[in-house]
Amino acid sequence: MPDVTIDWYVALSIILFAIGALGVLLRRNAIIIFMSVEMMLNSANLLFVAFSRHLGDLNGQVLVFFVITVAAAEVAVGLALIVTIFRTKQSINIDEINLLKG
Amino acid sequence: MRVITYFFMNAFNLAPLILIFPLIGVLANGLVGRRFVETDRKTGEVWSGWFGSLMAISSFVIAALLFFSLRSQEFHAEVIYLFDWFNVPSAGFRIPWALQVDTLSVTMMLVVTGVGSLIHIYAIGYMHGDPDFSRFFTYLNLFLFFMLILVTGSSYLMLFVGWEGVGLCSYLLIGFWFDRVDETGHPMNATAGRKAFVANRVGDLAMILAMTLTFWTFGSLEFNTVFQSAVELFEKGHMVEFGLFSASLGSVLTAVTALFLMGAAGKSAQIPLYVWLPDAMAGPTPVSALIHAATMVTSGIYLIVRSNVLFEIVRASGSLILGVISAPDLVAYTGAATALLAGMIAFTQFDIKKVLAYSTVSQLGFMIAAAGMGAYVAAMFHLITHAFFKALLFLSAGSVIHGMEHGHHEIAHGDHHDDGFDPQDMRMMGGLRHKMPTTYVVYMIGALALSGIVPLAGFWSKDELLSHGSDNNFAVYLMLALAAFFTAFYMGRQLKMVFFGEPRHAAAEHAHESAPLMTRPLIVLAALAALGGFLNLPYFTEGMAAANQHKPGGIFLGLEGWLEHSIQSFELTAEGVLHMPHTSVVMSRSVAGLSTLLALAALAWAFYGVYGKKPKTADERDPLQSTPIWWFAILPLNTFYMKGVIPLFNRLAHWLGYALDWDFWHDFVHNRLIRDPFVGFANFAADILDTQGVDGLVNGAGKTVRRLASVIRLSQTGYARNYALSILLGAVALVAYFLLMVN
Repeated sequence: MPDVTIDWYVALSIILFAIGALGVLLRRNAIIIFMSVEMMLNSANLLFVAFSRHLGDLNGQVLVFFVITVAAAEVAVGLALIVTIFRTKQSINIDEINLLKG
Repeated sequence: MRVITYFFMNAFNLAPLILIFPLIGVLANGLVGRRFVETDRKTGEVWSGWFGSLMAISSFVIAALLFFSLRSQEFHAEVIYLFDWFNVPSAGFRIPWALQVDTLSVTMMLVVTGVGSLIHIYAIGYMHGDPDFSRFFTYLNLFLFFMLILVTGSSYLMLFVGWEGVGLCSYLLIGFWFDRVDETGHPMNATAGRKAFVANRVGDLAMILAMTLTFWTFGSLEFNTVFQSAVELFEKGHMVEFGLFSASLGSVLTAVTALFLMGAAGKSAQIPLYVWLPDAMAGPTPVSALIHAATMVTSGIYLIVRSNVLFEIVRASGSLILGVISAPDLVAYTGAATALLAGMIAFTQFDIKKVLAYSTVSQLGFMIAAAGMGAYVAAMFHLITHAFFKALLFLSAGSVIHGMEHGHHEIAHGDHHDDGFDPQDMRMMGGLRHKMPTTYVVYMIGALALSGIVPLAGFWSKDELLSHGSDNNFAVYLMLALAAFFTAFYMGRQLKMVFFGEPRHAAAEHAHESAPLMTRPLIVLAALAALGGFLNLPYFTEGMAAANQHKPGGIFLGLEGWLEHSIQSFELTAEGVLHMPHTSVVMSRSVAGLSTLLALAALAWAFYGVYGKKPKTADERDPLQSTPIWWFAILPLNTFYMKGVIPLFNRLAHWLGYALDWDFWHDFVHNRLIRDPFVGFANFAADILDTQGVDGLVNGAGKTVRRLASVIRLSQTGYARNYALSILLGAVALVAYFLLMVN
């Protein structure tokens, strides 16, 4: 079994971030997009924790708590928005929400 | 008692009141006068009219107090500082608002407020029943206010404020009945007002240039400072430095005085800017009397007399305009030529007020000519007497017009309504001496005074002026003497056509005398026109001159002894300038005798000669065009005279009056050459330059923005993922940038 170095964590984090970004860009369902955003955030969290351990600096772990807190708040607001949009439009297809078109 | 003495000795503190009274009148009549008059016409008119008149009279009282104060302190001039108008200490630029109280300005104040008060009272009667009664008195008081600023100001800038203000009032009052239109629907009164305004602007431009040059040269616009430093500079013979170049004082002042002449030509209706004055008769008659005869039009003469120091320095320095003529000589010739030309044009006019208008132009020419010859006292003397008798003539003419209009109203109640009736046309009048006896007598006094019949006012002032002419400049004298002959002739013609013979129109038959409110001021003015000459009786012999030299206060040369404290004259010596006391001219008996004889001959010629057979009907030809002169019938020269001179002269006068003055000068030069291109340019500016040029630029800018926006807004798709993508790309770009920066 090979050694699990910091590079592995970085690679996994990049893969997770890319999957999240592509999910945000390509999917139409608002909830899926929402989950993709969460995945991007958590890929960043993973990186923070990995480097925190690698460098022996606890600041990275402290920052992760902040990110989780902000993400929780974001979920609360974001889901409330999605529920409201669903009530008016009977849909959560993000392509139908294009009132700001120029 | 002490209070009274204090008032008489120290009225200088009261001087600002002379401006404040008319201003109160303006505010009162302008703000509440209309409501007063509309609520109750009868008492409203009394209150509105008499309040305005009272303000004028109060100013006159202040002027009289100033007169006594000046006397009590030996004519020593006072400058009463009120406040600073501009003050830029770093640039040394300071224009105080101050009143100049000296013998010259007090003379003008007395004339302006005295004649002004009488005309205000007359106007209460004249404007009776006019829907804009209180507006008229607002304007009259406003005019008085600005005219008094003009004459009391202690600097050229103050003078200019008044100068512009009276121009504005003149415009407002000429166009007072601005809604009246002629047969073609053209608003002729409004046009006349505008014409006066525009013609005056030409002169004003010259005034502004002259003031700029004065300030540049002397660093001040205050009369006292300018005159003092001008004399000092002249005595030292220094050049005037203008930064890059320098010029001699004589040539600088030649430019200044020539520009002053142009300004005076605009205001005082001289060649070539006189065209507005005859049209200005569209205004109500009290306006013609006050503004266009007695006061405003004389401000050009006041300007020249006030600047006498500058004119005399130019004369002493020998500087010439283009090497041809000196500025004061140009003034004299301009005045004399105007006097002659306008006197001739007055021959051919049928409108009672137009005759007087051209006569005013002609008389102003006399004054300008006198000022140009250095006879400043004679100019001021003629200004005063002219204010008396010309105001009298205009107001009497107003009384005649009033009478004719009433006569016309009376017959218009019958069945025949005559729309072509013109109450100012002298051909419609005739025989009015029985219908309007008071007006007839005062008109006669005014006309004889204007013609210069001894001992009425015009005789003394005109002949003092002519005596100066025969001493100083013979060519000018000849022109003026001829103009005086013409004056007597057209006044004789007018008297005969208006008052003598039989009525030539039903309106003249039914005319009747005007109300006492109008005739009483006429009687006062008639007394002034008759006795005004005694202000300045001349010395009749050398002995009298020697015995009475410099004894001010006497009846002989009273005005001269009074004015010489404001008017200096100079003589150039090898050492520089000497201030000379004013030298009195002994009235030349031959000049006075000749001019009186000429005037009598002209009156007789008009009365018994040309107009002996008065026109029987309104449309008969003017006998000036056909009748011979009876007393030439006994001369062998008769045939030559009748066939040659008279028709030639008639043709010349008609040519001057209609072809040269009207067709060429008014229609061709002013309307065709100046107005039409200007109107064309204005149309071009309005229709093409503005709508296509300026609007195109503005609209084009708007269109460009719109077009650009329609392209750019395509990027706003409204799809959230497009925005997300741009955020991502932005983030990647930022990261890439920082990575590159680190390495």
